[in-house]
Amino acid sequence: MADKDIKIVSFLCNWCSYGAADLAGVSRMEYPADIRVIRIPCSGRMSPKFILSAFREGADAVWVSG
Amino acid sequence: MEYPQAVPLKYGINPEVCLKLTKDKCGTCEEVCPANAIDYTQTEKTLILDAGAIIFSPGFKPFDPSKFDNYQYVNYPNVVTSMEFERILSASGPTMGHVTTFPKLPLNPKKKADKLLAEKRKDPKKIAWFQCVGSRDMNKCDNPYCSSVCCMYAVKEAIIAKEHAGGDLECSIFFMDMRTPGKEFEKYYQTAKEKHGINFIRSRVHSVTEDFDTHDLQIRYADEMGQIVTDVYDMVVLSVGLEITPETKALAGKLGIEMTANGFCKTDSFEPVTTSRDGIYVAGVFNNPKDIPESVLEASAAASAAGDALSEVRDTLTKEVAKITEVNVVGERPNIGVFICDCGSNIKGVVDTAHVTEYAKTLPYVTFADENMYACSQDAQDKMVEQIKEKKLNRIVLAACTPKTHEPLFQETLKSAGLNKYLFEMTNIRNHNSWVHKNNPEIATQKAKDLVRMAVAKAALAEPLREEKINVNASVMVIGGGLAGLTAAKSLATQGYDTHIIEKKEVLGGEALKLFKTAQGEDVGERLAELVQAVTAHDKITVHTNTTLENVEGFVGNFKSVLKTGDKTIELEHGVAVLATGAKSSEPTEYGYGTDERVIRTLDLDKLLKENDARLAAVNTAVFIQCVGSREPLRPYCSRVCCTHSVDNAIALKKRNPAMDVFILYRDIRTYGERELLYKEARELGVIFIRYDVDKKPVVTIEKDGLKISLNDHVLNRPVTIDADLLTLAAAIVPRRDERLANFFKVPMNDEGFFIEKHAKLGPAEFATAGVFLAGSAHYPKPVNEAITQGRAAASRAATLLSKKDNLFTSGSIASVDAEKCSSCGVCISICPYSSPRFVSEGRFEGKAEINGVLCKGCGLCVASCRSGALHLRGFDTNQIFSQIFALGEVV
Amino acid sequence: MNSKKTGSVVVIGGGISGMLSALDLANSGFYVYLVEKGPSIGGVMSQLDKTFPTNDCAM
Repeated sequence: MADKDIKIVSFLCNWCSYGAADLAGVSRMEYPADIRVIRIPCSGRMSPKFILSAFREGADAVWVSG
Repeated sequence: MEYPQAVPLKYGINPEVCLKLTKDKCGTCEEVCPANAIDYTQTEKTLILDAGAIIFSPGFKPFDPSKFDNYQYVNYPNVVTSMEFERILSASGPTMGHVTTFPKLPLNPKKKADKLLAEKRKDPKKIAWFQCVGSRDMNKCDNPYCSSVCCMYAVKEAIIAKEHAGGDLECSIFFMDMRTPGKEFEKYYQTAKEKHGINFIRSRVHSVTEDFDTHDLQIRYADEMGQIVTDVYDMVVLSVGLEITPETKALAGKLGIEMTANGFCKTDSFEPVTTSRDGIYVAGVFNNPKDIPESVLEASAAASAAGDALSEVRDTLTKEVAKITEVNVVGERPNIGVFICDCGSNIKGVVDTAHVTEYAKTLPYVTFADENMYACSQDAQDKMVEQIKEKKLNRIVLAACTPKTHEPLFQETLKSAGLNKYLFEMTNIRNHNSWVHKNNPEIATQKAKDLVRMAVAKAALAEPLREEKINVNASVMVIGGGLAGLTAAKSLATQGYDTHIIEKKEVLGGEALKLFKTAQGEDVGERLAELVQAVTAHDKITVHTNTTLENVEGFVGNFKSVLKTGDKTIELEHGVAVLATGAKSSEPTEYGYGTDERVIRTLDLDKLLKENDARLAAVNTAVFIQCVGSREPLRPYCSRVCCTHSVDNAIALKKRNPAMDVFILYRDIRTYGERELLYKEARELGVIFIRYDVDKKPVVTIEKDGLKISLNDHVLNRPVTIDADLLTLAAAIVPRRDERLANFFKVPMNDEGFFIEKHAKLGPAEFATAGVFLAGSAHYPKPVNEAITQGRAAASRAATLLSKKDNLFTSGSIASVDAEKCSSCGVCISICPYSSPRFVSEGRFEGKAEINGVLCKGCGLCVASCRSGALHLRGFDTNQIFSQIFALGEVV
Repeated sequence: MNSKKTGSVVVIGGGISGMLSALDLANSGFYVYLVEKGPSIGGVMSQLDKTFPTNDCAM
């Protein structure tokens, strides 16, 4: 896997996980750069269509957090 | 900068160690700062402020245990304070959240001695917490009071430590009385014991000695049977108390505020946030030790007290922001401007921002891209406004830090450029990128490009959104005419709002009518009568006694309620509601209550004391039993007020007749804060305290000539029998559990029937339902001063809403319905937690769904559940989220 | 009250109590000066890891 470009699409709830990702930055933690964050107003906003569409666009993984 | 969460997150110069300031050498920071923010000539300035009132909330310092030689805090590296342990647990702390021994050493020590110690570092297997360090102690320090928060934070630290370290960490808390009298606190304590396996040992540890080689800590204490035990721990955490600093005391002295002997502010139970000096109000720990929810309540209460005093000059000094006419961009081709922020070196140090800017120019609809050193600085914002106007940009993308803190700022910038503030998209290339990928500049630059491309795709679809104005009816309905309700009503009426009090009984006053004295000795009857008099006489207050609430309709700013008084019903329109329905004493089912008139409840004793009843003169031995119906499986909460109340009444009995034998049978004495002084006084007066366990409750036998009460004495460890002629039961305080009321306002109740506030810490006097507020014992049992504080806090929160009656708006980012597509299935109506969607009742779209924008919180749950694609979430619409996903799929 | 009152309030201390008092007052039509001795506001609460009894993050 190491030589492959991995793409993880993450849908983060504005009120918790998005803030947590902000704090990870403030705390200068390091993590692999394969994640692309899409901010959503609430994990209730998630529709299965978004997940399927992300896979269709070539995502290796989809992460919904809220 | 002290810690990464500091606000403002800016560096400051410590003038005591700066070489430039002390010796006029160095000056490096001025040279390297790209923002030219360093100015060595700044000095202290004296400002003179004109103000109508002062709120004094100076806070506390954690107690410094250095002077306790038996715990050797200074000399032993593995003895830490609870405040230090807090930082150890924090992911942003010195050990990055890793629980380790020798936590005070740097992660990679440079000094040789430190290096040697650091090699001994290990993950602790056993940690001990010592309670009451710097509290409830007159021998080694002069703090006789209880700090109120340490029991709970020690339990919390133990739970979190176990979460961080894994299952085999052993946590023991050494305590005198476990004091968990707050809302949900007792359950937290029980969970810690039962689920997390934390040991609770009732003992004050005598001393700590250190193993010279391993630095493990040997502790000596007497267990409950009086046996001396020695045990070895890897770390000891001292649960340090809260203390008022000499500086604060001096400042309070300068302000002319009266203090107690311990340096806390002296306040009256009926005016709990008003200092002895007119116009100065107090909030927080300086007004007695307290936790976060209590501090938050006092903050709002102090604001309400200041608001009462200054109501006629409201809005005289605040400034109106000039409105700029919005440019209509509907139907225009998107003309996107992209701004890339360097954030000094925070972003630019990792991401090739110049390259990203050039890249942005190549994206569809982008006609302009620019790089800023600090996009949030005033000059950069002014320039941005100019650029928007000059290039006629109609959508803006900003790649910078987090929208959570900075989006509102830039939305204001858009507004000053005449753009609708929703034509804005922000993407986070700092917190989510440069800061977390600092060792991979190339990948970070690539990621920044992806993020900008996604944001541009979404912004192209952005539409101007409207925020609907909410009309606020500037009147108030308070439900419940007890202390909390009366206080809230009085404050809101004083601030000029028409207020209605609904009381189902014939008279105002509530449960407080039955109380004798407050913990500070004020006569409740007298003071309550004054309050009732002031409320009844107030020309802005209408009192509805013998009245029940029959129906409530509407939403924030526009409620319509139906009141019923006898056979008469009236309709009342109001903008906000305060729920202050209180709680009451339960009917005990044990200890012979109800079968003998010598077994009474606390409030019955209050009545005897109040009326100076002749029965009291005949009492030779009085016994109190605590926790009757509280802290048991049926009612797992602590009723909070009973310990202080019984101790107070025991003192009253002793003072009436010093020869009387008075016993208090308890599980933990919970006289928090300076109430601890009452506990001390009671013991000095000879009141005898005997502890019992919940599985070995006292046994009461009723005989003709007296009550026989038997239990096991915890000091002697043998059974004792007391012959008593009066037994007072501290009966649990139970809520009214009014399901109907809860339904009217769509507010939740917990298992026990207390209302659940919006947020345990940050919204303790309001509900999640906008416009509905909460005060008094309906929230949780509380004594007089706390009920009044919460009454005032609810008033203050309500006033922030009422005073905005002309500029309260909904958010623009809410759901909307495409009625043509709606299939009237009703899923949105059943799924919405805020009851915002409803069926249109008449007209062309009858039967289709519509959204009440005032109630919509913009979560998008309905949008995701709509099977017809009829619902849209403005600002996060389906096509916008798809556009981000598609943009990500594009190959660069 | 013969002398004119002033529609502003000084809040001394930028901890959780001070900040929230200031917000309530500002939101109900008063001009507020929040005075803090240290370089940042937030007080002791912002240095806590989690808060009881909900174990929420203190931030």
